[in-house]
Amino acid sequence: MSQPRSSYAVGTGLFIVLGFAALAYLATQTSSVANAHQSDSYIVDTQFTNIGALKERAPVKIAGVRVGQVQSITLTPGHEVADVKLSIDKRYDKIPQDSVATIFTSGLLGDQYVGIQYGSAKQVVAADGMLARTKSTEPLEEMLGKFFGAGGVVDNVGGSYTVKADFTNVGSLSTGAPVKMAGVVIGSVLSVHADPVKLNARVVLAIDKRYNTIPDDSAAAVFTSGLIGTQYVAIQPGGSPDMLKDGDEMILTQSAMQLEDLIGKFLVNGSSTDKKDAGDGKSATPAGKH
Amino acid sequence: MNVREPQRDNVVSQSLAQIGACGLFLLTLLAAIPRSMRYVRETIRQLWFVGAMSLTIIMVCGLFVGMVLMLQLYHVLSIFGGTSASGMVVALSVYRELGPVVTALLFAGRAGTSITAEIGLMRATDQIDAMEMMAVDPIAYVATPRFLAGLIAMPLLCCVFCAMAVFGGHLVGVTWLGIDNGTFWSNMTAQVDVRTDIVNGVLFKSLAFGAVVSLIAVFQGFTTPPTSEGVAYATTRTVVASSIAILALDFVLTAFLM
Repeated sequence: MSQPRSSYAVGTGLFIVLGFAALAYLATQTSSVANAHQSDSYIVDTQFTNIGALKERAPVKIAGVRVGQVQSITLTPGHEVADVKLSIDKRYDKIPQDSVATIFTSGLLGDQYVGIQYGSAKQVVAADGMLARTKSTEPLEEMLGKFFGAGGVVDNVGGSYTVKADFTNVGSLSTGAPVKMAGVVIGSVLSVHADPVKLNARVVLAIDKRYNTIPDDSAAAVFTSGLIGTQYVAIQPGGSPDMLKDGDEMILTQSAMQLEDLIGKFLVNGSSTDKKDAGDGKSATPAGKH
Repeated sequence: MNVREPQRDNVVSQSLAQIGACGLFLLTLLAAIPRSMRYVRETIRQLWFVGAMSLTIIMVCGLFVGMVLMLQLYHVLSIFGGTSASGMVVALSVYRELGPVVTALLFAGRAGTSITAEIGLMRATDQIDAMEMMAVDPIAYVATPRFLAGLIAMPLLCCVFCAMAVFGGHLVGVTWLGIDNGTFWSNMTAQVDVRTDIVNGVLFKSLAFGAVVSLIAVFQGFTTPPTSEGVAYATTRTVVASSIAILALDFVLTAFLM
């Protein structure tokens, strides 16, 4: 009678050992144990005007190597800047006083972290000291806005007039997409359909009546807002004294860019002067302003 | 309308009475823990039965869950060029949700039913009454050891399940689909947190599910009508009630722990 009992005990013991072994495996091999136990560290204060999506416990890095984590993020009422306390490993106690703390994003869509770029001062930051020089995050929207000049508040579209434009490729432009001039919405796409004879895409744009002084040699282009945003039609004003009227057709159009094309152009036009030339050439050749 | 009204009332009050009786039964079980310390061997025997004997099914299911998750995620994430994150997503979804829930559902099917059927048959064949005649407390000797065994076995089984799922994800992702081995592990270790994912996710959730499943199983066994039909009905009820309780409790726990 004792024989089967002891075999139960052995099997159960094995089961418990296996379970704890699995737990130890999960905890040590597949998770960040480094985040859990902390070695001796000291606190450094910093202030940022914009912390973006920085969270507590986000890593602090020097030269890309993790040296600590964000201890706390607080906003004192009445102040415009966020107080961020960094907890840095005691081993890295030779950080110059004029080092710059910057909020970086790992990758395009990754988490944010605080990067410390060394300065050249002889004095080092003491414990509970302060890193005075900081660089805040720049919201992705602002950065992209600088690139694309897109974004803006949708105006209340009152009465509108329609204008036709032919594109060889509209990308994923859909009905209802905004029409923008100088980045501001001035209308919307009324319809997109393929022309069976010309074999291109005919897009009908509804433009607010208030914007009735658009030169008739203006160009229409299909742009993308942001990297993975929706597509819209941008109108680049021309120089003609005659204005677009209801039912007119815009002759000068620029089709949707494929990301691959864009990158290809980027790689070819390395220097900034080249880029400028290409930009002038693009607008000058079809528009024929000169 | 007049005919139906009392009937509906009956169903509502019946299920309320069930829940109430189940809660009272839990108190009885917990009160019997000091008395059942005499029957440690019985607890170990039950642990062997509900835990060690369930290992095979848990391991096989964990392996396949990890493999199929990785396969699905790989194809979705390849649209965005983010396949290197798939190992991390497998680990997080298994630790936080799938591990505890699937283990608990399997545990209810594998161990819960047999507990109910065993206790129900003990009742039907008057063994429980015989124990009382011999001055053996059936709660301390039959119910509490099974409850404790389920409570201990579930977190351990869940850990095994999660480890097997990660192994399955590695098998498909790295060996078959060609994700880089170093990226697979470094992404995972960067995002999985010991406290929020492993302690709160794996351990706490599975402990709660283990308590609920074994409580329902033991309760159904003890309250079954002592007939063969009653035992069959009680066994079914164990699976149905446990499954609903697990999924509902999972929602509540996730809302609180997140």
